[in-house]
Amino acid sequence: MKTKNRAISVALLTVIALAGCSSTEPTSTDASGPANPATSKECQPATGNVELTFTTWVPGMDTVVALWNEQNPDIQVTVQTGPNGNGGTYQNFFNQLKAGNAPDLGQIEYDALPNFRVQDGLVNLGVCADVLAAQDEFVGWTWNQVSFGEEGNVYGIPQDAGPMAMFYRKDLFEQNNIPVPTTWAEYQDAAVKIKELGGYITNFSQSDINQFAGFVWQAGGSWFQNDGTSWSVGLTSPESIKVADYWQGLIDDGLVSANPPWTDEWNNAYNTGSDWTWISAVWGANSISAGAPATAGNWAVAPMPQWNAGDNAAGNWGGSSTAVFKGTENVYEAAKFALWLNTSDEALTALNKAANLYPATVAGANLPALKEGVEFYGGQAIYDVFAQASTQVNPDFTWGPTMTQVYADASDGFKAAVSGGGTLADALTATQDSTITTLKSQAIPVKE
Amino acid sequence: MTTNPLTQEVSSGRPPASRRRSSPHKRAIAVFVLPFGVLFSLFYAIPVGYAVWQSLLKVEREGTFGVAREVFGGFSQYEQVFSNAPFWNSVGRVLTFGAVQVPVMLGLALIFALLLDSPLVKGKKFFRLAFFVPYAVPGVVAAIMWGFLYSPNLSPFKAVTENVAFLSADLVLWAIANVVTWVYVGYNMLIIYSSLLAIPTEIYEAARLDGAGQLRIAWSVKIPLVMPAILLTTVFSIIGTLQLLAEPQVFRSFSSAVTSSYTPNLTIYSTSSIPNFSLAAAFSVVLAVATFILSFTFLKVTQRKGNK
Repeated sequence: MKTKNRAISVALLTVIALAGCSSTEPTSTDASGPANPATSKECQPATGNVELTFTTWVPGMDTVVALWNEQNPDIQVTVQTGPNGNGGTYQNFFNQLKAGNAPDLGQIEYDALPNFRVQDGLVNLGVCADVLAAQDEFVGWTWNQVSFGEEGNVYGIPQDAGPMAMFYRKDLFEQNNIPVPTTWAEYQDAAVKIKELGGYITNFSQSDINQFAGFVWQAGGSWFQNDGTSWSVGLTSPESIKVADYWQGLIDDGLVSANPPWTDEWNNAYNTGSDWTWISAVWGANSISAGAPATAGNWAVAPMPQWNAGDNAAGNWGGSSTAVFKGTENVYEAAKFALWLNTSDEALTALNKAANLYPATVAGANLPALKEGVEFYGGQAIYDVFAQASTQVNPDFTWGPTMTQVYADASDGFKAAVSGGGTLADALTATQDSTITTLKSQAIPVKE
Repeated sequence: MTTNPLTQEVSSGRPPASRRRSSPHKRAIAVFVLPFGVLFSLFYAIPVGYAVWQSLLKVEREGTFGVAREVFGGFSQYEQVFSNAPFWNSVGRVLTFGAVQVPVMLGLALIFALLLDSPLVKGKKFFRLAFFVPYAVPGVVAAIMWGFLYSPNLSPFKAVTENVAFLSADLVLWAIANVVTWVYVGYNMLIIYSSLLAIPTEIYEAARLDGAGQLRIAWSVKIPLVMPAILLTTVFSIIGTLQLLAEPQVFRSFSSAVTSSYTPNLTIYSTSSIPNFSLAAAFSVVLAVATFILSFTFLKVTQRKGNK
């Protein structure tokens, strides 16, 4: 009797479970509904007060949002904070989208937008006339990142950009009469001299692949292309391999340190003066001042080294958008808030003060806050360097729809390369293959 | 360990109904069983069933940004699981880990428990608590703390860590084993110790009358009598080993040797963050079945030995 009842209950539960799953099926197809036909009906103001939730990891975002809440009693935004995107927040977003309880708005970096779009997680803000009208306010390539180069489609409001430049220890370069490198060849020469002095020119970022992507971006490569019918994967493109071989050379000669990024060991290498430069994005200014406080006043910023003397190309590392998730009932209000957050002078100034975010708007480059000298960098007006870099970023770099997987696999390979197992180029080749496999398993059309 | 009771019950539920006797307490039984039944199905049976169902789905879409439709895919996810070399490498890795770490940990736990139980040791309460304290430290915190201790330039034991690369490919598995051992020795010790306390004192008296010393009592009386507790902790440890996640996940951020597929559970975690929920579910089901088979085989083998 006991066993029979148990069998029945198990059978029942299985039926319930299966029924539970199959009943979610229609809703997921419902949600897919009209993807492109942009009816403005979907972007109508709500009647009455609206409450929105916004998940982000940008430090100090709550104080910025407090400004909005003061001025907009009828649209109140609650900030929820989490770890940075690939550190867990994206995973949460995917889970929440699957469970149907995503926040109204979320912080999404440009590289993750295709991933969320392919999972059908984002509201196409092209339905809102105000959003389309704002296109000209943004730097061209940042708009490309959120529109995927498609007219009338907008999957997020650009928030900040991460144009790259070279942070370097001005004092050490001067004391040792080493010229500040302007090309990658000079960078290698400098690395040799620094090695002789017992230091490293920089740290190779083995597990944050975004920096490497920024180098490839500068070299004119693009890891993905979408021709509308299928993706092609370009991790092993000539530009990508050129960058890999260059850094492999530095690793083989022991010219760079290989501390895992964002660890205390890594901070320590900069704080003690063992590492001399860091080629990083504008927000990196904050990372250095926080991680290497003992070196205050000794740093300066110069443009990224170039592949050919006289070139003017910059890479980009990071930068994110404010996206609106499927499932929100208040697209209009969410878009209105996202536009204010990313275009108004007061919000952009506050974001820069709180988190060194560099605005994605054209006008943002002229904010008074971005013209000031920065004490940590010996009073240099460092944002001028980044403002120039921002105009030199190639607008055609495209991210793929499975970047979490690309980063994880490339990082596995890069980690092996810095510990002497294989090369960076091997890692890119392996990742190229695994990326194609992953795209196929997601039924995403891909060229081989 | 997630699916086994389900499969077990389904298969044992086949025999035809017979011997039905109406019980006078039917309603009372129902009232007592209901709370458990509800929670069990909500948080165990239904999620397990859902995972199994999810693992049988696959995704279809049209175009580069076409909306995904989940359709029944049969065992297509399982094909990917069985052809995924990194996953099976990681299974091999945790088995190696378990083969060394579990005996060491349980050996230490047994020794500590016997010492605590010995009449010769003073300050038992203090030591019992001291051994148990690491278990109260959350696994993630323990891993971060040990990561700091292992760190080549920042460790308080720099003299050692500068020369021994604990976080390198050769040693990191054993560095993690050390963390796991540190956390769980006290927990296992407590299980064995409480089982020691349950041994009737008459047996010790008899052993002493026969002239047995403390060591002899420990070897011939105590250990055989706490064998069930040791077996239990072994099964728990095997399960824990196959499901290793928190420690390698933390170590991944500061060790070059820990990859995104270092342990089976890390593979599942990375797969679900692609997000490829169906493949992640298939990995989970395979891992659960493998864990079940391993624990069950271990129990069977040891029981047979005990019956001889």
